[in-house]
Amino acid sequence: MSIRKEIRQLRHGRDWRGRSTVPQSAEPHVREPEGREFPTAWARTRPAVAARAGLRRTLLKPVAWSQTRPMIEGTEYLDGVRGPVVFVANHSSHLDTPLILGSLPERFADRVAVGAASDYFFDVRWRATLTAIFFNAFPVERYGSRRLRSLALDLVDDGWSLLLYPEGTRSEDGWINPFKLGAASLCITKGIPCVPIALRGSYAAMPRGRNWPQPGRPRVSVRYGRPIVPEEGEDVRSFRLRMAKAVSQLAAEEDLGWYGALRAASDDALEIPGGARPVRPGALKSPAPKPNGAAEQVSHWRRIWASTQPLDEKRRRVWRS
Amino acid sequence: MHQGEGFRLERLPLGAKVIYPPDSLPGIRNVDAAIRHALLNPHGTEPLPELLTPGMRLTIVFDDISLPLPQMQTPDVRQRVIEQVLEMAASKGVDDVELIAGNALHRRMTPAELRRAVGDRVFQAFFPDHLKNHDAEDHDNLLHMGQTKHGEDVEINRRAAESDLIVYVNITLTAMSGGSKSVSVGLASYKSLKHHHNVHTLRHSNSFNDPPNSAMHHSYDRMKGVIDEHVKVFTVETTLNNDTFPPSMGFLNKREWEWNIRDQASYVAVKRANDLVPAKTRRRIWQSSAAPYGVTGVNAGLQSEVHPKTLVNVHRQQLTEVNGQSDVAIYGLPYICPYNVNSVMNPILVMSLGLGYFFNLYKNKPIVRQGGVAIFYHPVPNEFHPVHHPSYIDFFEEILTESTDPVLLETKYEEQFATDPWYIQLYRNSYAYHGVHPFYMWYWGAHALEHLGDVIFVGGNRKTTSRMGFRSATTLADALEMAKDTVGGSPSITYQHAPPLTLADVR
Repeated sequence: MSIRKEIRQLRHGRDWRGRSTVPQSAEPHVREPEGREFPTAWARTRPAVAARAGLRRTLLKPVAWSQTRPMIEGTEYLDGVRGPVVFVANHSSHLDTPLILGSLPERFADRVAVGAASDYFFDVRWRATLTAIFFNAFPVERYGSRRLRSLALDLVDDGWSLLLYPEGTRSEDGWINPFKLGAASLCITKGIPCVPIALRGSYAAMPRGRNWPQPGRPRVSVRYGRPIVPEEGEDVRSFRLRMAKAVSQLAAEEDLGWYGALRAASDDALEIPGGARPVRPGALKSPAPKPNGAAEQVSHWRRIWASTQPLDEKRRRVWRS
Repeated sequence: MHQGEGFRLERLPLGAKVIYPPDSLPGIRNVDAAIRHALLNPHGTEPLPELLTPGMRLTIVFDDISLPLPQMQTPDVRQRVIEQVLEMAASKGVDDVELIAGNALHRRMTPAELRRAVGDRVFQAFFPDHLKNHDAEDHDNLLHMGQTKHGEDVEINRRAAESDLIVYVNITLTAMSGGSKSVSVGLASYKSLKHHHNVHTLRHSNSFNDPPNSAMHHSYDRMKGVIDEHVKVFTVETTLNNDTFPPSMGFLNKREWEWNIRDQASYVAVKRANDLVPAKTRRRIWQSSAAPYGVTGVNAGLQSEVHPKTLVNVHRQQLTEVNGQSDVAIYGLPYICPYNVNSVMNPILVMSLGLGYFFNLYKNKPIVRQGGVAIFYHPVPNEFHPVHHPSYIDFFEEILTESTDPVLLETKYEEQFATDPWYIQLYRNSYAYHGVHPFYMWYWGAHALEHLGDVIFVGGNRKTTSRMGFRSATTLADALEMAKDTVGGSPSITYQHAPPLTLADVR
């Protein structure tokens, strides 16, 4: 065999450094390394809180407010609230957290920790660091795969309020997904109030896949609701239902106005996220439900179409200027 | 892929399975201390110094040149063990010490080879009067100990049989060696050996590297029972790791995908140089390469208690689990087999290496299915060493032309070769293998001949391969084309990567 052929054969399947791929059958079986939790305690120290307040005032809020036109309502409900609370909001965009943190009264904004997906925000060190310093985020295990012990209980004990998105992830299409139980069970076990928040328009402003808001300063709305306090002996599921109702009602305010939403809620006319079905924010139950009780299946494009509808400028204002 | 005194890269068809041995185990750092510990803390018997008494007859028997392969770099582990045994014997005042190489019907070891195995000090102190090769045809010096319950004659070296203690120094390279094989084979005569070195036994040894399933080893065990009634045997068994080639040819110890640039460069350089040098020089270089083996274990004591521990060590180094049999098995045959150390690998030895040793490197089931095809890489040159293998020449020229059927050869010709006075003369006084040895080599492949549908040698000499009843092909593609008749167009293929040695545990 000529030396050229020989070398060609030798080089076959090797990269320029002469390394060959190891046959899969020869790869040793490696157990997924036990995920080490990214330490976030430093982000709750006094200097970090000060730094975060500075960043929020000089960077986060100005940028978010310059790129969108937020409309904030209901912060007055927080006036009398004391101590740690759990803020729960529907989640459809990375804009949600800056909007909420930017609109919260300072005394809460400085003392709120945000639950962030450990597999997304805490996968690499730089992202974990940035998330922690900007949002005071702490890792939340979404799928229970690594069985990390949640920090949430400790944080509440230390007097931190939490911002949680009980849907567990950003919505694919702007509709509200069923809530998970975590936030509700936290409120019940700790006996702390839950403040519902509804965001509208943030999906249209910056849906999944975008890393900057749409041009043209889209309008977004952030509505705070009355704190819900767990009742004596209330179980987690019914508290979750109340939570979901409250968020739906706030979301419906965008279309129906405050009083209209209140009426719709008391008439039980609002679609509540539950089961396995996402609902359009602010949707009303269809007057004639399907005879077999099956939920109406809405095609994907129609959901996105509904979610990206610009918020109405000339909204009806009832009893409020 | 090893191919006689050379090697090559071969691209196997997509989906071919390659069996590699486990990574070479780290050797014991302080071998002498390990030996000392083994001798002082033996399994199943008193420490060696307590067995030694002044005025006793002590015989030290050691494995001959057929182990290990290739020869290990000096100091040989046998030397290390023997030196320590002798030190203990000297301090206990033992005067009557004899050293015997357990070479059975193998050729005698030359003085230089003995010196290499036992070391200078031992050689100078004992050679030539008390350091000897075993002579299986010196009937005055053989002792018939009796028969097993199966009627097998047990006849071994008289000096050893009449000793107060035999210390057997063994190297267990494969699971076949060691254990009861040591004394009952190493020191035996033809009369004794023919009871297990025959076609029937070997066909029922599936495989002979898996002692519990080997009829041959059952026979050894029975003979050992007879020997144990007469003489006490203290066994020292050592095991080696898989460092088969010196660092200059380190790429041969690695899996191909682990080759770095340096390995690749040295592959090209060594291969080109190897192809260029004259055949004689090439052989000398290969034969002089010594393996930097590390010792993975030393166990001493009663053979029945030592050997299981030794086998655990061998399996730890060599056992690889394989999932199922395939239609075609590929083996690259190296330049060396147990019977051509410092010699020539003749066609019969190639057959015995391929169909005997390599084919039998399995547990449970052969890596190739019944009726499958074995493809070997070897040039099978028509070369014989006239001094070492005289009976092989006649066997090849006169007997194989008549038949290749082991049973026929055994019944018709074995006796004639075994008792030929000229072969016996050469065995006793020259350095020739015994006259019957080529028959044994042929029987070694009997199990494979029965199991396989076809045997193809890639790059094999047409004349020699067809004489032995095999076929030769120029390339692997041709060989697979030829195998189509037997196993069809898209056979499953397994390549047993060796050396280093792998024992395939086929499930």
